[in-house]
Amino acid sequence: MKNITMSEMFIHPSVFFILGGLIIPFLRGRAKQSYMLVVALLAFLAVLIMPHGTYGVYEFLEWQLTFGNVDKLSKAFAYIFSIMGVIGIIYSIHVDNDGEILAAFYYVGGALGVTLAGDFLTLFLFWEIMAFSSVFLIWYRKSEFSVEVGFRYLLWHVTGGLILLAGIIIKYNLSGDLTINHFPFHGWWPADLQSLASFLIIIGFIINAAVPPFGAWLPDAYPAATVTGAVFMSAFTTKTAVYALIRVCAGSEILIILGVVMAIYGVVYAVLENDARRLLAYHIISQVGYMVAGVGLGTQMAINGVVAHAFCHILYKSLLFMGTGSVLYMVGTTKLTELGGLYKTMPRTMIYTIIGGLSISAFPLFSGFVSKSMTVAAFGEEHLTWAFLLLMLASAGTFLHTGLKIPYFIWFGKDRGIKGKEPPWNMELAMIIGSLFCIGLGVFYQPLYLLLPYATNFKPYTLYHISETLQLLLFTQLGFFFLIKKLWCENSISLDTDWLPRKCAKVLMWFTNKPLSKLEYNYIGELYEFIIQKPIMRVAYYFMKIDTVVVDGTINGLGKLAMTCSQKIQNVQSGKIQHYAMIMLAGVIVLIIIGVVLP
Amino acid sequence: MSLLKIIEIFRTKIMKRISYAALILIILIDFFIPRHEIHFFGDGIPGFWSLFGFVACILIILISKWIGYLGIMQDEKYYNE
Repeated sequence: MKNITMSEMFIHPSVFFILGGLIIPFLRGRAKQSYMLVVALLAFLAVLIMPHGTYGVYEFLEWQLTFGNVDKLSKAFAYIFSIMGVIGIIYSIHVDNDGEILAAFYYVGGALGVTLAGDFLTLFLFWEIMAFSSVFLIWYRKSEFSVEVGFRYLLWHVTGGLILLAGIIIKYNLSGDLTINHFPFHGWWPADLQSLASFLIIIGFIINAAVPPFGAWLPDAYPAATVTGAVFMSAFTTKTAVYALIRVCAGSEILIILGVVMAIYGVVYAVLENDARRLLAYHIISQVGYMVAGVGLGTQMAINGVVAHAFCHILYKSLLFMGTGSVLYMVGTTKLTELGGLYKTMPRTMIYTIIGGLSISAFPLFSGFVSKSMTVAAFGEEHLTWAFLLLMLASAGTFLHTGLKIPYFIWFGKDRGIKGKEPPWNMELAMIIGSLFCIGLGVFYQPLYLLLPYATNFKPYTLYHISETLQLLLFTQLGFFFLIKKLWCENSISLDTDWLPRKCAKVLMWFTNKPLSKLEYNYIGELYEFIIQKPIMRVAYYFMKIDTVVVDGTINGLGKLAMTCSQKIQNVQSGKIQHYAMIMLAGVIVLIIIGVVLP
Repeated sequence: MSLLKIIEIFRTKIMKRISYAALILIILIDFFIPRHEIHFFGDGIPGFWSLFGFVACILIILISKWIGYLGIMQDEKYYNE
């Protein structure tokens, strides 16, 4: 066991979001808005003053739960998650739906909890809090499709969570230890129980990292989320998975191939995509591909690159989602076939979005340049030329879509005479802060490098590197205008790997509705009635005679009680599974608080 | 000058010509840039990344569209039918 030191400086930042969030429904107007901002700022402050060490260790049944494992790696992620918490709250401060705000709070709190977890059980707990809170960011869109999408999202994450739990249980049975430690998976297929455990854990993680073929939930869910929900979602789920992969699976070779495939896969789908927010979702997959590949490589430089890239990625990707979210909020659509010519009415939103686009494309002086280059250079250093070249190819694709296609087709392209307007002040303020971070990190990268887990003297701004990047990106731009006719979008959707489960579900529903229910009704039902129902009825008749005379008197009293109780409970039983999920989540949290804090 | 006017300037013909000139310029400059570490053959060739960027962009668009038309792209109502 690690040293257990206690310090008053350690306050778990999730506490602010998870307990602090509970007060939101009781506040109104300006008081509520200020309170939300203060909570997010306090959580950031808690991360800021957090010293390295192990905190918050509790005995729970026969296990030891560690809530605060602070080292350079977890602190770097805690920093960016809490910064993103502040930006996200500013962006959504006008939202009048307490449930949506609460979901965002629990989601951020969950992400911080995963980051600081010192054992697998705590990690799993917060992992599930994230899944069950973020699904509300989809459901609160309150449209018919978002209900369906939310259920699909939940199914993916519950499945992923169960696979992760299976891996954790096998690991615990083998080693009797729940501490999160480096536990990579080598090879292609599990050979023994030990590698089965790491295999299941890695699968659980990569489902959340949206690695194909398990990544289809992401482009399905994020465009269906609320305007502000998508901003939060773009930041946390995949990046906590990247964090978990670094912690547990660094150096698992399979991740190099999966990561490179991901980087290209996102780019290919982005060409076909018509919805700007779904296009951005595919580029999350592409960018997380760099991180997953870097984790697979596992060298110090690669891990530094991954952490730096995750840090910058959260900022520029949320900025992009804020920009396109503003368009959705003000104009009502993000379909590129319905947009165009918005530069006349939303020029400032355009500039923020382009700053995000230049950052994700790793343009010199923008944040992506100092982080992506480190990750890609790590592949050059190891002479993995194929991976290096494919990642460079994906970089060209990133600029093509996020830097060129999105701004061009929303703000220029064909003027469709849409009357837009700049978004409310708080949304714009959040975008200004995001933009400043993107440029600030691109110019003053030293503070970011100091946060990285390993010491580094990597210099992003060498003449050759600048020349290499400018050539790659500017000639991509030439290609874009050269083939622009090919890039005009069509009203279409692209089938992804979720085609199989979605089609299978349809077949299954048909099978149960048609042949299976017929078989049940016509044959099994008849048989049942003849063999079981009729004899039982006869026996029951005699029992009833005894019952009416002897037992009824007692029962009637109890029955009345039950009636009164059920009338009360009836209000809770809304029949909506969303409500049940929320009640269950609240119950789990209450139980944990009782179980952990009280003894 | 308003933001809108600045954006309009970027949409003029002159800006287009300046951009083309810049493309040629960055290839020319690449001939004089020192290479400290050469990780693979492309690093040694001046202008390599220009060609790479252009070809990559063309390939990404054409191949993706080709894959799309193989059956990946479907009508928006595909799953509802």
